[in-house]
Amino acid sequence: MSSFGLSWCALKVYLAHYRQAPLQAGAILLGIILAVTLLVGVKATNDNAIHSYQDAGEALGAQASLFISSKSRRGSIDQQLYFDIKAAGIAAMPVVSGTLDDSDGKPWHVTGSDVIAAMSALTHHTDPHAAAKVNPLAQLPLVRLLAGEPLIVMSQSQFDAMGFSATGQHQLLLGGMALTAIPLPDSANLGHRLFLDISVAQQLLGQPQQLSYIALFGDIETLKQQLRASHIDLKQVLLTPQDQGKALTDLTASFHLNLNAMAMLAFLVGLFIAYNGVRYSLMKRQRLLIQLMQQGISRRALFSSLLAELVLLVFIGSAIGFVLALQLSQWLQPMVAMTLEQLYGATLLPGQWRWQWWAQGAGLTLVAALLACVPLYRSLSHGSLAQGGKRYLQALAHHLTHQRLFIIGIVLLLLTALGYPFSQQHRQSLALLGLLTIAIPLLLPQLLQWGLALLTKLTRPGLWRYAIAESRELIAPLGLAMMALLLALCANIAMNTLVGSFDQTLRSWLSTRLHADLYLHPGSDNIAPIERYLRQHHPELVYFYQWQAPYFAAAGQIQPINLIGRDDVSISETTVFKQPATVAGQQAAVAQTIAGNAVFISEPLALKLKLQPGDSIALCGDSQCQQATRLPIAAIYFDYGNPKGEMVVSPPLWQRLSLPAEPIGLALGHVKAIDTLTRELEQQFALNPAQIYSQQRIRSQAIAMFNKTFSITLVLNTLTLLVAAIGLFSAVLMMTQSRQAPLAMLRALGVEQTRIWRMLLVQIIIVVLLTCLLALPLGAILGYLLINKVTLQAFGWTIAMLWDWWAYGRVVLLSLLCAIVAVLLPLYWQSRRSLVSSLQQEVM
Amino acid sequence: MRRWQLTFAMLALGLLSACKPPPANDASMGELMGRADDNFAKVTPNQALKFPQDHLAHPKFRQEWWYLTANLTTDSGEALGLQWTQFRIALNSQAPNNHSAWASNQLWMTHAAITTASSHQTAERWSRDIQLAGAPAGVSGLPLNVWNENWRWQASATHDASNPNDGLLPATLNVSDNEVSYRLSLTSRAPLVLQGDNGYSVKSADSKVASYYYSQPFIQVRGQVKLHGQWQKVSGQAWLDREWSSEFLTRQQQGWDWFAIRLDDGSALMLFQLRGAGASTPFFSGKRSWPNGRQNAIAAKDIQLQATQYHSVGAKRYPVAWQINLPTEQLQLEVTALNANARMPLSVNYWEGPINVTGSQNGTGYLELTGY
Repeated sequence: MSSFGLSWCALKVYLAHYRQAPLQAGAILLGIILAVTLLVGVKATNDNAIHSYQDAGEALGAQASLFISSKSRRGSIDQQLYFDIKAAGIAAMPVVSGTLDDSDGKPWHVTGSDVIAAMSALTHHTDPHAAAKVNPLAQLPLVRLLAGEPLIVMSQSQFDAMGFSATGQHQLLLGGMALTAIPLPDSANLGHRLFLDISVAQQLLGQPQQLSYIALFGDIETLKQQLRASHIDLKQVLLTPQDQGKALTDLTASFHLNLNAMAMLAFLVGLFIAYNGVRYSLMKRQRLLIQLMQQGISRRALFSSLLAELVLLVFIGSAIGFVLALQLSQWLQPMVAMTLEQLYGATLLPGQWRWQWWAQGAGLTLVAALLACVPLYRSLSHGSLAQGGKRYLQALAHHLTHQRLFIIGIVLLLLTALGYPFSQQHRQSLALLGLLTIAIPLLLPQLLQWGLALLTKLTRPGLWRYAIAESRELIAPLGLAMMALLLALCANIAMNTLVGSFDQTLRSWLSTRLHADLYLHPGSDNIAPIERYLRQHHPELVYFYQWQAPYFAAAGQIQPINLIGRDDVSISETTVFKQPATVAGQQAAVAQTIAGNAVFISEPLALKLKLQPGDSIALCGDSQCQQATRLPIAAIYFDYGNPKGEMVVSPPLWQRLSLPAEPIGLALGHVKAIDTLTRELEQQFALNPAQIYSQQRIRSQAIAMFNKTFSITLVLNTLTLLVAAIGLFSAVLMMTQSRQAPLAMLRALGVEQTRIWRMLLVQIIIVVLLTCLLALPLGAILGYLLINKVTLQAFGWTIAMLWDWWAYGRVVLLSLLCAIVAVLLPLYWQSRRSLVSSLQQEVM
Repeated sequence: MRRWQLTFAMLALGLLSACKPPPANDASMGELMGRADDNFAKVTPNQALKFPQDHLAHPKFRQEWWYLTANLTTDSGEALGLQWTQFRIALNSQAPNNHSAWASNQLWMTHAAITTASSHQTAERWSRDIQLAGAPAGVSGLPLNVWNENWRWQASATHDASNPNDGLLPATLNVSDNEVSYRLSLTSRAPLVLQGDNGYSVKSADSKVASYYYSQPFIQVRGQVKLHGQWQKVSGQAWLDREWSSEFLTRQQQGWDWFAIRLDDGSALMLFQLRGAGASTPFFSGKRSWPNGRQNAIAAKDIQLQATQYHSVGAKRYPVAWQINLPTEQLQLEVTALNANARMPLSVNYWEGPINVTGSQNGTGYLELTGY
């Protein structure tokens, strides 16, 4: 028979074996499925988000080539400019956008536009085959939209997510107006946007005859020519070309990298389970494999049959994993979308599936599985034909392996420690994190050995000492599952520490930053009349001002920033300084900045441009930085508001830079009755809730929003822990099943059933508890690295580390619960079988 | 007469859903165009048209258009046809319940085309009606100003009571687009032609549907047209149709074939047939007019139209050559298209192009074919 035929025969024998022991194949498949699910699920989510940045067009319209907006950030432009641009024959679309509160005070971002202009813009981008497709916009209630009826259009997914499909209730109260929700197919590319007709949007957002920006369509050079030829005065506005999502891709790179890192971790944990499964099944088949060789199947055929088995399992597992990954991604996408939209202002479009993801997932799993298993197969298929149950030798080999792993782990740990002071970049820190992640599980088996040895000595002789001593024998079969568990525990502890610490840091930062009682953003034109009115009717109030403009900062590289102007009191009292650290230094910095001789820069900008107080920075109004104003940096302040760079200047400097004189925000202090004054202003100036915020409301919304930044990573982490728990469960289950014979022997020797059960439980609880104990310092180290390196460098946020015992307790409980159930289940099965049949397990 | 059916066709065929802006499906186009709304103004006989006021828009009626077709020749002798049409479409007889100037019950759609023997370029603009000065599209005057973005008919004030086209002509017509660009000066001293019965144009045998319809078939044109990327001087004659109504076609009518012909004897001939379903007899109407104001209405029984050649453009077959017999006018004419591929592939698909006329008289003109 040919080698191929022999391999085929061997493969058929394995299949028969797995029919007898489905748990073994199940464990391998489970690991592969979980690994591929998490890897591909996150990859799909990430890829779809990045594609969205590149493809996202205007709501209901095409992708614009050029944007015209106010020079003042959040400022508006007169709609007459839009009419002038249309009169010049330029394809354009007016957009007015802003935030409106629903009846529960929850803010929603809405976009208003002219639906006819939006659809006309599509002609510039219609592909030749578009006519043959069913146009999703066909379902728009055009007549009612144009007539300014209170309608709000959204994608079907968003419609479902907001519960309109389930409840049958289609009304949404926004900004005090009851709007009827209209769903459009997801293919209309609305993403998560809420679309209003411009007639309704201008009213609701309190921006009559004003636009947030104008989107222009067509070839960018032709557009610029047309604008020049039209002689429209564009001095007061900002022209920004479409960057195909480049800025957004750059800005969100850290976020996606973090997600990818989490996915790799989950993948690794999944592979641990799969590898553990392979090892276990080989251990159980050792006798079978030797018998096959004894019957004439060549070593080569045996080796290739094992390889074929692995490839088949990877293929099946990754196919199932891919399907589950698509489902997982569906589930993760809204969460990612929320973070990306709220933090970065990105719009996510409905995703599309690619077969390449499956190929990548399967390929990576196969390579990893081959790397892990080939040495195992080789040693097995090259073993002696006379090899029997040389358990002592095997145990010796395990001890040696554990020691080797420990040494490698220590070396990696040392490398991480050595690399720590030198890692300046987010990517480098992630690499360090990777080293640490590999080191942590490698340390485990040896540490468990030592821990159990110590415990054995401390225990009185008898069954309990036997139990603990025997636990050491469990380390080898359970080792991989425990390693996966330790990894997931550490990641979970680290992530919980990060999120808890961030929440605390943010709260204390907000306390300092928010000094006024009421914050108004009524539009630049309304600030002066409101202030006049307040000075007349409420002379006791104090006023704080804020100006904002999109600007550029240059120091080595040119970076788009938000330039912020603040009044003297706000500068001196609401800045949370990172540097200088001394009070005297901070006072000097404030004095210098108030005088207009220096600037404050935010921590993210300082990190991005590698700047320190005392360095100088150039401020430019254009992206080429042709006319720069160079100033020294007086201080660096904490800013958890956004990951984009920010710079604070005083009013005199703001004037010197010839920026719009009207503030965009007015804050009021010494307000006695906040609710009364809010209502008074709302009525007097027709302000909507999106334009007037109390300190309390800003605080709660800010905390809710920024906490969402980590919600996706937290979810992934919990998933990883669940994967590890499943791994532990399957490993303990398999191990307890494999121990049925020795346990039956103990029973035959007269040990009571309940004592055996208790012994087994204690054994597993000790092993799990020791692992959890190890997870404590290792998780703390991981968390420290995550907070002080990765997050700091990725987002530019310094966070004070806080330890959360409750979160630690939770994961320990979860692990224990899994282990206990996994022990009790086979014991329960065993109790239903006869002693003889359990004893016979030894022979099989 | 005629082009109203375009908008009706949009309703009936849901054509907008198939292509570009503003695409809508049958249901919403039904809402857009044909929501059972009896509150639009009705077209009734014996209503004298009033000029120059009637050059302006009639927003109480459902549909209306300013429709110009021209047969021109370049300095180098190349014949070409040119079209400009601005449609007003009322979505609802009721004014919007929202006070925003953007809230609207009216849309503007404009088509433009340049057709030579070898090319056919088209373009389209859509705008919503905005009740503000400087709005992207609208009709104002007098003198008449019809615009959609940077496409504009702008009449000049003549202060000349003897000008039969006061407020309408002389005018300039500018269209600028990637595909279609022209700058024309339009003049005429000929009186307006009131189609049908003094401008009351019946569209069915039972007289249930009708429109207000007048024309100016005798417009002298000079100007420039961008052809093959080059501006070229052109001159020739143009024909303006003005029409408004709230109900144009009966349910049974499928489409129409419309002819606007200038004959060498200086007369202008307007003919149309509205095709019913199946083999039913079409509804015919026609009028021959002269620049001096003389007009001959042609009775339906005296109109014989016969398609002699069909041509396929895309998935549609259009009759692009015709035999016309008008015994009472002693006219036997053969009509052939300058460019048989002159389909308008826009939000509404129809065939519209310049024609050459031979037979008992020679001439040029325009042919429009819909409902194929």
